[in-house]
Amino acid sequence: MQDQNQQAYDRGTSIFSPDGRLYQVEYAREAIKRGTASVGVRTADGVVLAADRQVRSPLVEEQSIEKLHRVDDHIAVASAGHVADARQLVDFAREQAQVNKLRYDEPIGVESLAKEVTDYIQRYTQSGGVRPFGVALAIGGVDPDGTPKLFETDPSGTPYEWKATAIGGNREALQGFLEDEYRAEMDLDSGVALALETIAQGEEEVDPEAAEVTVIDTETHRVRSLDPDEIASHLDELDVGGDVDE
Amino acid sequence: MSRFTDPLTGADAVGDPTAPELTDGFDDAGGAGGANAQDRDGSAVNKTGTTTVGISTDDGVVVATDRRASLGGRFVSNKSVQKVEQIHPTGVLTLVGSVGGAQSFIRTLRSEADLYEVREGESISIHALATLAGNFARGGPWFAINPILAGVDEEGSHVYSIDPAGGVMADDYTVTGSGMQLAYGTIEGEYDEEMSMADARDLAVRAVDAASERDTGSGNGVYVAEVTDDGVDIEGFDDTDAALTER
Repeated sequence: MQDQNQQAYDRGTSIFSPDGRLYQVEYAREAIKRGTASVGVRTADGVVLAADRQVRSPLVEEQSIEKLHRVDDHIAVASAGHVADARQLVDFAREQAQVNKLRYDEPIGVESLAKEVTDYIQRYTQSGGVRPFGVALAIGGVDPDGTPKLFETDPSGTPYEWKATAIGGNREALQGFLEDEYRAEMDLDSGVALALETIAQGEEEVDPEAAEVTVIDTETHRVRSLDPDEIASHLDELDVGGDVDE
Repeated sequence: MSRFTDPLTGADAVGDPTAPELTDGFDDAGGAGGANAQDRDGSAVNKTGTTTVGISTDDGVVVATDRRASLGGRFVSNKSVQKVEQIHPTGVLTLVGSVGGAQSFIRTLRSEADLYEVREGESISIHALATLAGNFARGGPWFAINPILAGVDEEGSHVYSIDPAGGVMADDYTVTGSGMQLAYGTIEGEYDEEMSMADARDLAVRAVDAASERDTGSGNGVYVAEVTDDGVDIEGFDDTDAALTER
């Protein structure tokens, strides 16, 4: 258990412990670990975001559990952790994307958007009476000049750029798998396969209905969600999929 | 405007897309900057009257302006005003209308362009800068300005006119200011899409010269700005002919 001293320092987000830690931020990272993982993979011709929904009951409508979100025509977000917190950040990101268009008449860059979001997250680590966001995001998209980009946000408000990453529970294992399997010259299809294969690590099998995959390709600069049949055919090739309900 | 607030300050966390970042925005438009500004638009306010010309070519853009500031339309208050200023590594803005409003507008756009550049790691496009200028002119405290924004970027050469209500129009060439009809008369029929920078420069100078002869708000020589991929070059001349024979 925590001793008396530590308890005092983990009450407020804006208070450092004597050894320079922000306990609330660290606890927020723990909250993310409780969620199922989401994966982002950047390839030469686009970015892939994939997630597996945790369906607690057969009575839950699967599509009501949203882990991938479209932010603008050319940017999407995968989340892990508190869904309610994720929704706030996603909507903030959507507003920022529109502000950029109103302001400059050009689509926002992926890095700019990621930094707008992380700057907003950071404010919740330096203010009294609030708690940090208990969510990590993988922000994927294609810049106006055609460059695919993938960023991660964490509760401290630090942006990280990745070639491929996993967020959420079991992150270390999935990240290790990606490190072994990632190839810089992969095409978008191989990226989808790698993302699904990563999701499939640590699970018995992936249900095509429960899995979500979104791609943003450098050709169209458009966010596109794969339907369950497309996901199922990828899973079949990987031999990790369950059956599609007809 | 948005439902996202800064937890520390309570301010809007998204910001007003039509307001500049480094001022209070347009909050004081009804006060010091807005309604009162119109009152200040009286005989004591320096106005440029002005003829400013922008012409685009394949190699870059040329902007020429006269050098006169006037009071109440009857007195020449300055004979050597530089009415074209660099606001971007490869972009310029002209100063047309109230001198104070135009100078403030230039300073604001210049800092917006600089902010964009340090954040994005590349210069703002001329189209994006024109969009910003239009947003600011439409809602902001800068009354009675009608500048030309001209520049070069990856897309090529651009000339935009920004009107006082925030209208943003791109064209091959454009003229603003009190001498515009005289200057347009000179350019019309002479402009050629394939003309060289040197020919465009001479045409722009002759257009300002024609306006200087007949428009009481324009005169006292010419400033010429040449903008290419390499940057901006601005030079002033007491005599318009000197700008022509320079080359």
